[in-house]
Amino acid sequence: MAAFTAHTSAATSLYSPAGTAILLRSRSRAYPTTTTIRVSCSKTVVIGVAADSGCGKSTFMRRLTSVLGGGAEPPRGGNPNSNTLVSDTATVICLDDYHSLDRAGRKAKGVTALDPRAHDFDLMYEQVRAIKEGRAVEKPVYNHVTGRLDPPELITPPEILVIKGLHSMYDERVRDLLDLSIYLDISNEVKFAWKVQRDMAERGHSLESIRASIEARKPDFDAYIEPQKQYADAVIEVLPTQLIPGPGDDEGKVLRVKLIMKEGVEHFAPVYLFDEGSTVNWIPCGRKLSCSYPGIRFAYGFGAYFGHEVSVVEMDGQFDKLDELIYVETHLSNLSTKFYGEVAQQMLKHADFPGSNNGTGLFQTIVGLKIRDLYEQIVARR
Amino acid sequence: MATSVTAVSALAVFSAPRSLPKPPAPLPSRQNVVSFVGRPVRAHRRLVAVAASSPATPPDLANKVSESIKQAKETCADDPVSAECVAAWDEVEELSAAASHARDRQKGVDPLEEYCKDNPETDECRTYED
Repeated sequence: MAAFTAHTSAATSLYSPAGTAILLRSRSRAYPTTTTIRVSCSKTVVIGVAADSGCGKSTFMRRLTSVLGGGAEPPRGGNPNSNTLVSDTATVICLDDYHSLDRAGRKAKGVTALDPRAHDFDLMYEQVRAIKEGRAVEKPVYNHVTGRLDPPELITPPEILVIKGLHSMYDERVRDLLDLSIYLDISNEVKFAWKVQRDMAERGHSLESIRASIEARKPDFDAYIEPQKQYADAVIEVLPTQLIPGPGDDEGKVLRVKLIMKEGVEHFAPVYLFDEGSTVNWIPCGRKLSCSYPGIRFAYGFGAYFGHEVSVVEMDGQFDKLDELIYVETHLSNLSTKFYGEVAQQMLKHADFPGSNNGTGLFQTIVGLKIRDLYEQIVARR
Repeated sequence: MATSVTAVSALAVFSAPRSLPKPPAPLPSRQNVVSFVGRPVRAHRRLVAVAASSPATPPDLANKVSESIKQAKETCADDPVSAECVAAWDEVEELSAAASHARDRQKGVDPLEEYCKDNPETDECRTYED
């Protein structure tokens, strides 16, 4: 296998020479090996996700890998601090592995992890392209515990590659490789509430330190990360609720979530409510469905987002019954489900995940289904 | 028969020992419940069979987080807008995220399984192949 990869890396990146080389090798054997055939004619589907949640099993990744089938685990027998997740169909790589400066280096230069100067975009582009073309790569590993770069790990091309990080869509060359790109846009108030929930139990942290940390990172975030929103095919925007008047809910429990979908993206049909291309304001709670406070409100419309035409589905409020979930699913269209109730089933399967009762879980699940649909369409085309 | 039933129900009522060690300590709760039979009932005890508190951050990572916060506060005391200050708070964020992920990894861990890995000969961990 090592000799085989060496051969393909020595060959040019064009398809045919590598393809013929593989055929020659298989002819010399008594039987064709399935691995060689797979590498020569399948291209990996690459999805980019830009999110500020670090390199662990985030809720979005868990939902995504669940929809795609199979649990995602770090590669067996490898570095225990590896940021990579591997499942049967998908591999999730965290872009922090492409840091050119480790923690000490960044401290010395006074550079944050958000700054593109701390990333090696050339290596990122080369390796993502290699995986997309079916070649295994030795990807560096950034150890978040020690803050140093560990020896590289082998990544074999999966059917679906998800690249997750802060700079998934920053580099133009990498952007061109992506079949679909998603941006998770968390508003400042919600970000603060979530970070408080995450960090308050931590010894040493206080409200001031959490606020100071967010404030300090804001300039770099706004300069380097926010602009990626315009390139995303789908944006999940999380805002505070509008259903509770006054100062309202500052624990960030009730959320207003928008799913902004670009029109005209190949293999990606935007979700709509009732009537595609119209504007709808819908409160499902009423005579047929009873909801508890603060209820649920949906909106659907279209517009422009950074100069592109988009469709927007928005949910404000919380589900607290299975009935509500199924009722809503019945009225949404273009969900790319394989059977009636699949969205509700996926949400219930992970009822313990954060956001399972509001738009974050709903739209993350829907985006997962869209990714599965995109992958199947691409494979069917081959 | 009646007394054994009450004894069993008494066991069920008496909850976790007074000082439950933090996970992933071995399971003293089960052993201590037996010793509680003779003790007076304590009011308002939640029924807890196994240590059910949320997982704590691994101590080395927790130390790193608090160290980095201290450092960031010091660096920023001198000059709140310097690049060093920003980089210091970014490090705090990175370590807090790592700590949170470490806690998530701990969540799936079953304390009984952990204990039995190291002590397979104890009564709780005996397996029978009938």
